[in-house]
This record gives sequence, C-alpha cells and structure tokens, in this order.
Amino acid sequence: MPESLATPEPIQRLIEALHRLPGIGPKSAQRLAYHIVRTSPQEAEALARAVTEARERIRYCSVCVNLTERDPCAVCSDPRRDAGTICVVEQPLDVLAVERAGIYRGRYHVLHGILNPMEGIGPEHLHIDALVARVSTGEVREVIMATNPSLEGEATVMYVQRVLAPHGVRVTRLARGLPSGADLEYADTMTLARALEGRQEL
Amino acid sequence: MPGRPPRMIAAEGIVLRRRPSGEADALLVLLTPGEGRIDAVARGVRKPQAKLRGHVEPVTRSRFLLARGRGLDVVAQAETLDAHLRLKADLEALAAAIYCCELAERLSTAHAPQPELYELLVDALAALDAGASPAAVARYFELHLLAVSGYELQVAACVSCGADLPEAEAFFAAAAGGILCAGCRAEVPGRLLSVRAQKVLRFARRSSVAEFAALRMPPETAAEVRAALADALRAVLDAEPRSSTFFETLTRP
Repeated sequence: MPESLATPEPIQRLIEALHRLPGIGPKSAQRLAYHIVRTSPQEAEALARAVTEARERIRYCSVCVNLTERDPCAVCSDPRRDAGTICVVEQPLDVLAVERAGIYRGRYHVLHGILNPMEGIGPEHLHIDALVARVSTGEVREVIMATNPSLEGEATVMYVQRVLAPHGVRVTRLARGLPSGADLEYADTMTLARALEGRQEL
Repeated sequence: MPGRPPRMIAAEGIVLRRRPSGEADALLVLLTPGEGRIDAVARGVRKPQAKLRGHVEPVTRSRFLLARGRGLDVVAQAETLDAHLRLKADLEALAAAIYCCELAERLSTAHAPQPELYELLVDALAALDAGASPAAVARYFELHLLAVSGYELQVAACVSCGADLPEAEAFFAAAAGGILCAGCRAEVPGRLLSVRAQKVLRFARRSSVAEFAALRMPPETAAEVRAALADALRAVLDAEPRSSTFFETLTRP
C-alpha cells in the first residue's frame, strides 16, 4: 500500500504543516504528528490554543519592533531603561541573549533580518527606517550595533553607520576577537586581526 | 582500487556563498580552479567556539580539505589564504565582491575545472582589496566573465558579418553577442554605443584589472558601459543578479 493511503488525510495535513517549521525534516514531522494524535484531546487542544493565542496576541512593538503582547513593549515602556542607548540586533532571540548577559540597561531595536545582497535582502527589507526615525528625535546618544560578526553582519553595520552619520549619533559595535575558551592556533586571520586591533590595557 | 575517486580532496577555493543549515551547520558554495563549483557543508560553524568559522566566510580565499560525500562534500579542514580584510571594511567594495561572487556562482559549472574563471575572481577580489574602484572592477569582471564562460562579446568588429566598424556610434545587441554593423542591423533590441564606450570595452578586454581600474572615464561613458554589460548578462542569465540592486544603489552617483 502506498504511504499516502496508509496515512489518514488529517494526519497527512498535520505532517505537512509541521514540516514547514524550521529545522523539522519529514521524519521528525511524521513522529511529531503521530505523537500529537496519540495524546489526550485536552493536551492536543492546549497545544492548538497556545499556537493560536501566541499568533493572535503577539505583535510588533511600535518603538523597537520587537515582538510583544503590549505595545510599547516592556523594555520600551520601562522608565528605568536608558532611552539614550539603543542596542541594534538582528532578531528577537538576540534581545534575549543580550538580556541574559545582564549588564545592558538601554533599549533595543530589532531589524528582523540582516543585509544579505546575495539572497536579495536589501536595506528596504529591514527595519532601518524606523531606527533612523528614532535617532532623528535627538534623544539617542549611542547606537550599539550587536549584529553577528559575520560578513552580512559587518555589511549591516557599515550600512547603518552610513545612514546614521548625518544625525551625529555615536555608533559603536560589540567587540570582536577570540571567544572564551578558544584556541589561538586555530584562529582565523580576521578574528586575530580584530582581536589585536581591539586589545586592551591591563 | 583503480578508477575509484579519492575520498578526500585538498583544494584551494573561494567561498561564494554561505547559507545557514540545521542547528549550527552552514552550506557553502565554493569555487575551485580544478573542481569548479562545489557544494559543501561545514558542520557546527555557527557556534561561537567553532574553529572553522572565520575560514569559511563568504569572499574569503581558503585552502580546504574536503571529504567526498554522496551529495554534499564535508569540510574537514580549512585555512584562510586571503581574508580580504580591507575589502570587507569598505561597503562599496564588499558589495562589489558579493556581486562578483554571485555572478561567478551563476556562470560556473559543478565539478568541472574552471581555472580561468577562478583566476578572474581571484584577480577581481585582490583588486577590490587593494582599493580599486568597485564599479570599475565589477565592469571588468562582467566582461571577462562572459568571455571565460563562452559568451565573449564582439566589440571590435561586426558580430554577424565580421566587417570592420567605422569610428562612429554603433548598435550593440546583447542577444546577438556584440556590435552589429549598419548592414547587419536587423530589428533586434539593442542600444547605441558611443565611440568612447566601444573603446572602453575593447580596452577592458585586453588590459589587466588594475590597468582598467586606473582608467578615468566620464560618468556618461561609465553609464553606457554599465548598461551594455547589464544587457549582455541579462541575455545570458535570463534574470537580474540578486545582489546587483544593492551594489548599484551604493555606487550610482
């Protein structure tokens, strides 16, 4: 019997829906689908409700473009956070990473992507205009670029620096160099060059 | 056993493109002189402590040790030969480098030796790294890329009958592959090229990238050359290169 006949249509649809999620291959999708249909109706219902509610209640913060339930988001509406510093990140998960470090007290701006000309992603696909608008109010003293230290991240940094230059704001970026626990012997030229440039007085 | 391909190959190559894959892997498109375009996977390179990470950045020229897989090769080792650090610190030069890499990917062939194409890309990236005008390097690369890929533009004589061209404005038809003389000029789409633009194209074909980048030309000639080469590439690729918009918005005056 062909596989399509052995799989009831609703399960097949569930498999296809799960397969569309990032990182889920066809086999994982099958396993998850069969797991879901074997759970209690309450559990499956709770999962479906969680998905629907998250999608319905989460929107973009009108200030920092992060995902939020309330607009403006908790960080943007917190008076204890310094409105003069904006940390620019690629995606919402990066906000969590910076928050986990626990030393940053400023606000954020989420670009929702990174300049990637080869994949056709240009500045018009990122929330750069919103960042320029925030900076042009004159309230911002420093913009910290916290994009990934990759080629695309660097391109984004250079582009943002260029569009912010007329506004006279200080643009900085995260230090780059050797990660903790790294092996000098294996470090590449770029990393070593940047680590030397960014060396610090002891 | 005779005839069996080696399981490991050592090759120098340029990373044309890198895409994330799975949790921490990256899919690479490499251009090598002896093996042409190779798709390879670099495992775990997106983790911060990954040793390979910086050696497999796009636009970087590295020495690779690849393990032959059934579909994709796997990067076993990589060591940077030229990271092109100066180029990567200049937005226009970087955009031009990405554009050249995209064109090289599109016109390269998988697993077939392409030493000329490889040399051309090495020269173009080196020129960008040395501070040559990004727009000039891009034009030079486009023209020579067409030539090494078998689409040489004929700009010294009529592409149809081979007749010598008078020193006058001429009709350039991308689909025909070059300039058509007054007698051969049929109802095909094309554009008029000034004498100066024709000379620039001829000079670009016989000069080195550094010589061409040092050439000063008026902006209207540069625009003519750019448009003619864009037509020619469009005729070959059947599509606009994805990275051209970004590059053009940065370099257009």
